[in-house]
Amino acid sequence: MARIVIDPVTRIEGHLRVDVEVEGGSVKNAWASGQMWRGIERILLGRDPREAWIFAQRICGVCTTVHAIASVRAVENALGLEIPKNAQYIRNLIVIAHALHDHIVHFYHLSALDWVDVVSALQGDAAKASALAESLSPWPMNGRLQIQAAKDKLRAFVDAGQLGLFANGYWGHPAMKLPPEVNLLAVHHYLQALEYQRKANQVVAILGSKTPNIQNLAVGGVANAINLDNQATLNMEKLYMVKSLLDEVAAFVHQVYLPDVCAIGAMYGEWLQYGAGVTNYLAVPDLPLDVKGTQFDLPGGTIMGADFSTHKPIKSFDDPYFKDNVEESIAHSWYDGAWQRHPFEEETVPKYEAPKDDGKYSWVKAPRFQGKPMQVGPLAQVLVGYVGGHEPTRRWADLALKTVSGIAKAQVTPAMLHSTLGRHAARAIRTAMLAEMAQRHWELLVDTIAKGDTAIFNPPSFPSGEVRGFGFHEAPRGTLSHWTVIRGGKIANYQAVVPTTWNASPRDGNGQRGPYEASLVGNPVADSTRPLEVLRTVHSFDPCLACAVHTLDPEGREISRVKAL
Amino acid sequence: MGDDAFGPWVIQTLLSEYEFPDDVSVEDLGTPGLDLMPYVIDLEALVLVDTVRSAAAPGTVRLYRRDELLKNPPGPRLGPHDPGVQEALLAGEFAGRGPREVLLVGTAPVRAAMGGGLSHALREAVPRAVAEVLRELERLGRPATRRPEPRSPDVWWEDEPAARGHAPP
Repeated sequence: MARIVIDPVTRIEGHLRVDVEVEGGSVKNAWASGQMWRGIERILLGRDPREAWIFAQRICGVCTTVHAIASVRAVENALGLEIPKNAQYIRNLIVIAHALHDHIVHFYHLSALDWVDVVSALQGDAAKASALAESLSPWPMNGRLQIQAAKDKLRAFVDAGQLGLFANGYWGHPAMKLPPEVNLLAVHHYLQALEYQRKANQVVAILGSKTPNIQNLAVGGVANAINLDNQATLNMEKLYMVKSLLDEVAAFVHQVYLPDVCAIGAMYGEWLQYGAGVTNYLAVPDLPLDVKGTQFDLPGGTIMGADFSTHKPIKSFDDPYFKDNVEESIAHSWYDGAWQRHPFEEETVPKYEAPKDDGKYSWVKAPRFQGKPMQVGPLAQVLVGYVGGHEPTRRWADLALKTVSGIAKAQVTPAMLHSTLGRHAARAIRTAMLAEMAQRHWELLVDTIAKGDTAIFNPPSFPSGEVRGFGFHEAPRGTLSHWTVIRGGKIANYQAVVPTTWNASPRDGNGQRGPYEASLVGNPVADSTRPLEVLRTVHSFDPCLACAVHTLDPEGREISRVKAL
Repeated sequence: MGDDAFGPWVIQTLLSEYEFPDDVSVEDLGTPGLDLMPYVIDLEALVLVDTVRSAAAPGTVRLYRRDELLKNPPGPRLGPHDPGVQEALLAGEFAGRGPREVLLVGTAPVRAAMGGGLSHALREAVPRAVAEVLRELERLGRPATRRPEPRSPDVWWEDEPAARGHAPP
């Protein structure tokens, strides 16, 4: 039995560590461990709930926005506070733009190198790559000369010995299977993706006043004063800038990102067999359309044990089906005790001990829904929407599956999405759907303003006694929830149950593995010194452990290590 | 968090005591990892301030130039968080863009654990890092000017709430 450890070791505080045991070319057992303690919950104790979001968005350096959104929703829920329509739509546009940015970056800049062999792209023929691209998409920038220019850039880059950018890719690995032309096309689109993720980020900056760490939120609404004729406020010029950026990003998503994922996915069809892991799914509804949060553009709900007939929706910001069924276990986490508790009743008392496979081995708690581990993320959201008959989900998912089936010359169905590849496909489907919804929420905002409604804020007031609230958000990586107890206008308890906590959860008191751990079992590993297949499955979740500590390592030789024991 | 707030401290000190030319922006970018790219790809010059892992004593301010930062290739990446400075610079290079002039002003932390509060050694290093940033701006032909009436730095995260300590419901 060989043991492989993938661990970023030279950071002062590490993040995600994955240990797998491999036998006969396949993973037999796996442990996912968060190597850093978050601790923001303790920082928030005693603070003013109106400023919690400013601290909460520092939980994570990548998805700052999502924590800000979940935090204000939690406090609003505790107060039963409705927020004006304009505030919902502005928040929704920020949420969408952030997700578009995040999903594009995840695919092209974080995980594509698991599937795309950059060195092989140099063998690709630009004319053939262009013909292939034009058979898949009307995108105007897939011409032979444009692709040749990308190839020339890559050649110059490689000749200058600067392949370091792609040093985290395993080119030449036996598990790399794309033809050189597809690799070349992916490199071409990698360069374009740099532009479009930036455009999506600009939308967040315009509406959020600043990015990262938006400034425009408030418990009770937003701080974007609306006056169409005033340069200093949200005006027509800014709104049109937002629209034009969102339209450009939508074109890239529909004509480049989605077709790329379909084409690459179809050529790695065997990855529909691996990586299912936990097939209980949880997604929460998002993009609220009303002031209370009872109607949504994105559906939420649960599916248990891959059985679509178990589908049950989550219907509102105050749905007891969500509120009453979330607990966290610390049986295998470095906190004092071994309890499983509801977030309102939790405490966060760290207690580190030497890691043991059958003992405590992670800073991540183990969230459970009705006692079960749940997979969260785009796959959960797409499956819940598909099974629930959500029209946009069905339309985009059917289009993607039809495209994949056509290229692979084999029928691919929604039931086959429980897999490593399924998570990539679902992310692209979700992105395509969000890009379309951006348009709708922009129109909703402009229509409301056109009717003379410029309300953006309802002031909160805090009772002297105790109130409890929870706020959720379907973030790029899945269901995020913040839970707070407010006593006398001050925070008495605060817990954030983040998407990667669900997915990277360690075992619970009943020994049930978390989704990463379960998904790795049965995963093939061709070469244990280069565990590309393990990275494929882990990356398909889009891992994002909370990152409150950040230290660069300019002197170290290695940022991470992959070690076969 | 803790000494990891060294960068934000330096940024807030610069903003409260100096004014900058229109084409210089001074920003706290948090911990964006891979998402650093959109912020730096259009720049001509970049000055970064951060804590670094270093053999030097905590509080020692060290300078790193572009070549030094790019000398070792990035390793396998598990998540989007691992610092993205190298990737951002290399991706810019690949796209034929990005800053040619890069300086990292770094110092080793005493502790980078949870909680507010900059350690004494790093508090003392703030003016030294500020001086390095000012010197670099001068070298780049974009000198900052001292504000006639400096404010105190807006280190909002340092306010300790009255009731600290653990209080389960």
